[in-house]
Amino acid sequence: MTPALELADLRKSFGKTEIIRGVDLSIGKGERHAVIGPNGAGKSTLFNLITGRFPQSGGSITLHGTDLAGKAPFEINRMGLSRSFQITNIFPKMTVFENVRCSLLWSLGYRYNFWSMVGRSRALTEGAEEILEQINLTARRDLPAGVLSYAEQRALEIGITIAGGADVIMLDEPTAGMSHSETDYIVDLIRTVTTGKTLVMVEHDMGVVFGLADQISVLVYGEIIATGTPEAVRANPKVQEAYLGAALEDH
Amino acid sequence: MDLILVNLIDGLVTGLLLFMLSAGLTLIFSMMGVLNFAHASFYMLGAYFAFQISLALGFWMGLLIAPLVVGVMGAGVERYGLRRVHQYGHVPELIFTFGLALLIEELVQFIWGKNQMPYEGPDILQFTAFAIAGNSIPAYKIFMIFISVAIFIGLLWVLTRTRVGMIIQAALTYPKTVEALGHNVPLIFMGVFGVGTALAGVAGVIAGPVLGTFPGMAFVLGSIVFVTIVIGGLGSLWGALVASLLIGWITTFSKAYNLRMEDLLTTFGFTKPEPIWDSPWRDLWSITSPQIADILPYVLMVLILIFRPYGLFGKRDA
Amino acid sequence: MTDQSTTNASKSAQGVRAGSMMLALTPWCIAAVALLVLPFIFTANSAITIMNQMAITIIFALAYNMLLGQGGMLSFGHAVYAGVGGFACMHIINNDAFFSQLPLPLLPIFGGLFGMGLAMIVGSFSTRKAGTVFAMISLGVGELIAACSVIIVAFFGGEEGISGDRTYGLPFLGVEFLQQIEVYYLIAVWLMLSAALMYLYSRTPLGRMANAVRDNPERAEFLGYSARWVRFYSFVASGFFAGIAGALFAINYEILTEENLNTTQSGIILLVTFLGGVGFFFGPILGAIVFTLVQTVLSLQTELWGFYLGIVFVVTVMFFPGGLAGLIMMHVPAMRLGKLSVLALPYLRTLGAGFVGCLGAAALIEMVFHVRHASVGDHEMTVYWTTFDSHTVLPWVLAIAATVVGFWIARATAPSLAAAWSEANTADGGQP
Repeated sequence: MTPALELADLRKSFGKTEIIRGVDLSIGKGERHAVIGPNGAGKSTLFNLITGRFPQSGGSITLHGTDLAGKAPFEINRMGLSRSFQITNIFPKMTVFENVRCSLLWSLGYRYNFWSMVGRSRALTEGAEEILEQINLTARRDLPAGVLSYAEQRALEIGITIAGGADVIMLDEPTAGMSHSETDYIVDLIRTVTTGKTLVMVEHDMGVVFGLADQISVLVYGEIIATGTPEAVRANPKVQEAYLGAALEDH
Repeated sequence: MDLILVNLIDGLVTGLLLFMLSAGLTLIFSMMGVLNFAHASFYMLGAYFAFQISLALGFWMGLLIAPLVVGVMGAGVERYGLRRVHQYGHVPELIFTFGLALLIEELVQFIWGKNQMPYEGPDILQFTAFAIAGNSIPAYKIFMIFISVAIFIGLLWVLTRTRVGMIIQAALTYPKTVEALGHNVPLIFMGVFGVGTALAGVAGVIAGPVLGTFPGMAFVLGSIVFVTIVIGGLGSLWGALVASLLIGWITTFSKAYNLRMEDLLTTFGFTKPEPIWDSPWRDLWSITSPQIADILPYVLMVLILIFRPYGLFGKRDA
Repeated sequence: MTDQSTTNASKSAQGVRAGSMMLALTPWCIAAVALLVLPFIFTANSAITIMNQMAITIIFALAYNMLLGQGGMLSFGHAVYAGVGGFACMHIINNDAFFSQLPLPLLPIFGGLFGMGLAMIVGSFSTRKAGTVFAMISLGVGELIAACSVIIVAFFGGEEGISGDRTYGLPFLGVEFLQQIEVYYLIAVWLMLSAALMYLYSRTPLGRMANAVRDNPERAEFLGYSARWVRFYSFVASGFFAGIAGALFAINYEILTEENLNTTQSGIILLVTFLGGVGFFFGPILGAIVFTLVQTVLSLQTELWGFYLGIVFVVTVMFFPGGLAGLIMMHVPAMRLGKLSVLALPYLRTLGAGFVGCLGAAALIEMVFHVRHASVGDHEMTVYWTTFDSHTVLPWVLAIAATVVGFWIARATAPSLAAAWSEANTADGGQP
């Protein structure tokens, strides 16, 4: 079976500094994979490379067996990969409902359609309402997204990310800046909405990581030093040393 | 050969004048991300103020005081206008400066009327500096070159050699960090805006006597200035210099040498359709270079944008 | 008819949907009836001329707002798309063989197609970026084409422009469009049609994505849409409707000149749209109506009309970025609460006084202008239907008094207006 996402000797330099230094990673279909590592390890850069925000300097990224080199973010999205952002990235002036509906448009085949009314499509309305239900924002439906609380905006962000029906979901620190109860809420949410999909996430909160992921990769200074189940990674002495060491240096 | 030299000097004068405007504009743009549509209006105000002052105190006092007044007005516009509009985003900022340009033009008409003002250079510069093959070069032109170069060197010196310049350069890229270091960034912004508009004012003071002091003078030069900084690359000072000189020389030379499209097309082996007055291509065949001199900058801009969207010296992610 | 409102479709009742449909159609029906009866109320030829101009401006402003309001693209050269559409139609009118086979009411389609064609060419490179870069390109291209009009005489007719005779077209249901009123109805039909199409366009997937790209182009790219192509399609659609406006101009005035293309014209349409309000679909309509009326009235009364316009525009950008439509829609929450009446008296006090202050200030401006620019010895001037000597003291005292007192009262009563405002927007006992 081809893996959902495969990275082979992926590299990225900014000027002379190499941030990602040869990452090999294979993520199977339906896997929940977390990338952890100390600050500055290159986790966000890795995300931005995979989603086409930056071009890679070397190596390859394949999604369902197709090479992603040179593809723009919208092309990658159309191939079934969707992402959320570390800093909330929604459409603040549009209503919550409108936010979700817009993210459904491409996947429902509307493309650059300018002859059918969005309000008349039952599939769109119902699809959007279903997602609002899932992320518990039905009551906020007609408010501009910009006025929602932080946790609600994060939930909306996840809603937008999953709406397009992508089967590879990438979440960049979905619980960053949240309180404990909010974190629990988002974790439950992520678990329900990504059932049956491939999940790749970057996360700092170890509680979230061990609660959600079945595979963990540890990224330190642009290299993956270990990949395995949560238990195996936790027990890996190399990880303990390197991660703890780096974490200590960090603080 | 002599004629080339004369045109080189003329083009240099135009180019440097453009540069005085585009330097301030591009500096303001790279700092605040806002393109000041009213920039040329401050140039016009410089000319009018200098004219008014010169009536009472003579040309030199005008050259000294008018840019200061313009700079203070510019700083006021930043402080009480732009800073307020800034919260709405870049597009409203641009619309605001557009409205300001309209308002200043109307204001000038309100105060000075629609006619050209009899603003003239100082008597002391009313002589021929030297002559090249019978073409006399007025001293005033040399004076213009001198002033612009002096200002450019001064600007470069301030930006690269002084403490203030360092802070400005840092604030261009990392306004938040500079603010965290205890510098008053809004004040720096206001200052840069004031200095930028004052530069435009200087340009107005010295260009007024040559190009005429009338309500349309901002409009005539304004769009060329925008084209200049787009060609040079938004935010690049060197780009502004190169593009200004380029435009100065291109327009001067194409006005001086009567190149005809007819000759060009014949060289490429096309035959002139007969009778020409009935052909749909008659306008193409009758084009001459002086006729299109003023639109060449726009053509250049469109070509640049197609083949090099970031301008000559622009950064890719500008 | 608001931009913000979502469609009212819901899972539950079809009945609700039908009801909201009726509600959504009401403004359109009112507009159609109004367009139908207006010529019977204002029968004068000059009135019909003004209404024609108004209708053309509405179409153009709506087309412009497809870019500015819905797509977030600021164009400083949009007049060229209307202008080129108009010039193309003028050439069709002058082509006897073709035009005698073409009913005049179909001509705007050609105008639209030419406007669209030009927009496709320019848009192919100008829509790569939004914001400042787009604005500058639009300015440059606008200037370029306007400047070409004196060079490419074959198409633009040089200084004097080109003119034609609309009545040579194939008679349409026996109508030859000799009279102004016949042209009025032709324009009115096109107005309804274009406005409806543009409104519907904003409800299509592409129209919705235009909003999304305006708000957050990067996120839109991660939803599968190329921000650039979304902008391109908006631009092309806007060019089409601008071309229609240009064609109607050609039909109405039977002459096009460089003035239809230049930056001044582009600036005016920006002004009209922004003053009307870019956030709502009806904003530009409001802007076009008010602007045309005020322009017609004021430009006859005072030489300084552009000066006042400049002031109003700058003040609007600074303090009311939502424009006229935004001001109106600000009152919707209070209206929903049924507390609009709370505002009536404070409004009357503050705005009434402010209005007097503005009148006083305008009188002062007029007087200063007269003293400065009237020919020597001409001391007689007329302001507000009153003729007086501008070199005597009394008018100055009166004007200054009106200005100072008016603004002073407005300022003094402003806090009570603010209090009334928050009162009107608070539901009795609780949540705002």
